[in-house]
Amino acid sequence: MARDLKKEIKSKLQDNIMQDALSRFADQYPGSRLKSYAGQDIEELRENLRCMKADAVEHIEELADKFEANVKARGGEVFRAKDGDEVKKFLIKICKENGVKRVVKSKSMASEEIHLNECFTENDIRVKETDLGEWMIAIAGQKPSHMVMPAIHLNRYQCAEMFEKELNEEVPGEDIPYMIQKARQTLRQEFLQADMGITGANFGIAENGAIGLVTNEGNARLVTTLPRIHVVLIGYEKLIPKTEDAAKILRLLPRNGTCQKMTSYMTMVDGPTPVMYKKDGKWVEENRKQYVILLDNGRLEAAHDPVMKQVYQCVRCASCLNVCPIWTLVGGHVYGHIYSGGIGAILTGLLNGIENFSQFSDLCIGCRTCTTVCPGKIPIPDLIDELRNRYVKKHGTPTMDKSFFDNVLNDRGLFHKLLLKAGSVGQAPFKSGKFIRHLPLFFAGMTKGRSLPTIAERSIRDRMPALEKKNPSNAKKKVAFFSGCNTDFVFADTGENVVKVLQSLGMEVVYPMAQSCCGKPILGVGDRETGKKAAMRNIEALESVKPDVIVTSCPTCAETLSETYEKLFADDPVWGPRAKAFCAKVREFSSFVAEEYKAQGKLLPAAGGEKVTFHDSCHMKRGLGIYEEPRALIDATPGVELVEMKNCDKCCGMAGSFGMKYSEVSIPMLEEKVQNIKNTGATTCVVACPSCMMQIGGGLDNQNTGIKVKHIADLLAEKL
Amino acid sequence: MEKVCENWPEKAFISGLVDAKYWTDFEANATAAAAQVYKVADYAAGEAKLKEVLKEYAPKEIIAVGGDENPALKGIYSRLSEDGTKVYTEKFDIAEHAPSADVGISTAEFGVGESGSLVVDNYSYEARVTSMLPFVNVVFVNANYMVENITSACQIIGKVFQKGYCGFVTGPSRTADIERVLSLGVHGPNKLIIIAVENEGGAK
Repeated sequence: MARDLKKEIKSKLQDNIMQDALSRFADQYPGSRLKSYAGQDIEELRENLRCMKADAVEHIEELADKFEANVKARGGEVFRAKDGDEVKKFLIKICKENGVKRVVKSKSMASEEIHLNECFTENDIRVKETDLGEWMIAIAGQKPSHMVMPAIHLNRYQCAEMFEKELNEEVPGEDIPYMIQKARQTLRQEFLQADMGITGANFGIAENGAIGLVTNEGNARLVTTLPRIHVVLIGYEKLIPKTEDAAKILRLLPRNGTCQKMTSYMTMVDGPTPVMYKKDGKWVEENRKQYVILLDNGRLEAAHDPVMKQVYQCVRCASCLNVCPIWTLVGGHVYGHIYSGGIGAILTGLLNGIENFSQFSDLCIGCRTCTTVCPGKIPIPDLIDELRNRYVKKHGTPTMDKSFFDNVLNDRGLFHKLLLKAGSVGQAPFKSGKFIRHLPLFFAGMTKGRSLPTIAERSIRDRMPALEKKNPSNAKKKVAFFSGCNTDFVFADTGENVVKVLQSLGMEVVYPMAQSCCGKPILGVGDRETGKKAAMRNIEALESVKPDVIVTSCPTCAETLSETYEKLFADDPVWGPRAKAFCAKVREFSSFVAEEYKAQGKLLPAAGGEKVTFHDSCHMKRGLGIYEEPRALIDATPGVELVEMKNCDKCCGMAGSFGMKYSEVSIPMLEEKVQNIKNTGATTCVVACPSCMMQIGGGLDNQNTGIKVKHIADLLAEKL
Repeated sequence: MEKVCENWPEKAFISGLVDAKYWTDFEANATAAAAQVYKVADYAAGEAKLKEVLKEYAPKEIIAVGGDENPALKGIYSRLSEDGTKVYTEKFDIAEHAPSADVGISTAEFGVGESGSLVVDNYSYEARVTSMLPFVNVVFVNANYMVENITSACQIIGKVFQKGYCGFVTGPSRTADIERVLSLGVHGPNKLIIIAVENEGGAK
């Protein structure tokens, strides 16, 4: 059934209870996480985990065979299930064989993934979730909105309603301890009467066939202790070689998941263990039956995929959701499937099919914050990009994106005229300073909460011939200036300042006119072939002027030009080496200027003055690793003083075309950013990215803050 | 009582990894995880501490494991019933009374400094229900049997874990599923009381 994602997002943004819970959580999580790691070398722990899991996936069949043999040697039964249907058939069969009437479960994401509960209900078998959050959610007929905190979107009164529904009695919502005790009493009876317990596993150990379960409530211990049958539903990605390898997971999973050094219970079960029950009124003891189901459902294909095999490094801690600026705004339900957030998009693509992936892959804005916390160091945005590429290869590029891009690519001059003309329709009467306050009709959504910058009357390409005349003689280096679209058409003044700063450093600046868009917008939607065309055009154009350095004042262009181009042509014998040589010359503006300043003895702290704050662009900080250089440049600029804002490196919400397509999500992100800027008391927000400049500038103008936004090039040029 | 390893200090402990100096970390982290931690000189002092903490709960029924392996504990368990408290130590008695018992007394093999975790050998059914079903769980551990971190703990477990049931217990059962408010005792014990004995060879 087709979903209206925008409508769902809107309703989540209006859910004040959820908004309140998520924003408090997003605020507290990063600090609490770091506190739990006090005294530990986080990077070393992450690398150890990554290595162990990356190695495990290389030997996945071998591990699975060993694991299976060891479970069997201890008396357990192993069933390898290709998909959910096979799991269900097998389970119903063993339920019938063993006369199972009641089942208790302890957190198994895999069972949610294959919609296991339905098959029990259809066969008149009572099944109960025992994790408190999942139990409440199941009563309400909802789905968990988070892998670790399934009911985070609810408040206590909503929880109390679920208790009332299940228990048929009044439950006071303000009394959480009372609810906890009610749950204890109710679920205790379920544990004691259950015939079968089903658990997932946080890991499965090949060398001895043991499985490990990490919980706080202790429900997994009861599910694996009281019933006379234990079923383990475990995905291949959970297999690890040895018991001591479990430590590599256990030192990170609780800290990243719940900010604890260790959860209350970490339980390892190896083979069938003793169970006691009453037979004809007399207690007997025997070994329980153990069935281990190894679930494939797309996992083995992923294991052999050179890129996607990295999902095996996931330990389901959900920290990628906890820091995701989109997830913390819209919550887990809009992702539509059991696994939410960026990793959820990937898992859904691999386990539920790429068609299910496509719709909510949009909700990853590529800010890369998740890559800074992921215990398994999974490059989540890169895997999403790769899945997008595959989707486009299969289904083609959306027509709108393609025709728009072909225009930008093929005739920049014409495109500029079109922009100017389109802009001027609504522009003249509503223009305030350099911003468009309102746009008519269907453009209205774009200017809600944010003013849009006006299109520059003269683009940078129109201004360059005059600027190039001011190049110094005896230039130190020849710099090819790659403007990128925003600087070319919108922030042409900034482009001019880039040229002036470079010239002041003794650089000859040239602007190859045949350059076009870097290709990121079309690569971002997954159209690699059109992206390659853009790359070839730019490589040819910039090579032609034989530059020493290629400088761009847009970090997204810098990342595309210096990293993506090389990857695009990795297998191309002709373009491969050419792209590699090209990439090596590309420099982001502020890091290049800081380096030259330093060489010329100009990178020294200057006398302060007016307060300015700096916003880190996602691509610049986490893509290129550049964040010290612009700060050093601000420090070296006389008359200004840097004050840091809260969450200076949190996405402003623009993220390429995302901010336009999903303005309902983008605007709250922008509002948070504007608030953080206002709180510093700065009169100027300095940025090093034209996209952030458009977004933040628009937000500051819309709220009439009087705070200016400046590109670092603008700040430097002013003081020349 | 069936165990993963009959003699952890002899068969599982790796020399150099187990050291009383990690006690301070263990105590701090276990306390931070909401466990009540008491270090006592010997079992006589442990018995006194046990009786003192039990007063608060006035238990009618106690289930207890570990007496068969440890004569000092066996003595304590038998003396606990002198005031009329029912103390069950036989496995089927434990199974019968586990759902109604107020307190469970069990043992741990060693502690982990990094996290304040107790490493428990729960191969037997009676050990599991004793530590999980009652509202209060008292655990005896040797105060000298401490390791630095989770890595050392897993190395030691890996040496002997060939079959059965073991793991970490770190503080009482907890949940934060309602409004992320920390609540204790949701499925397992509400109280975890650790009595660490410094000199096991001391008084009986």
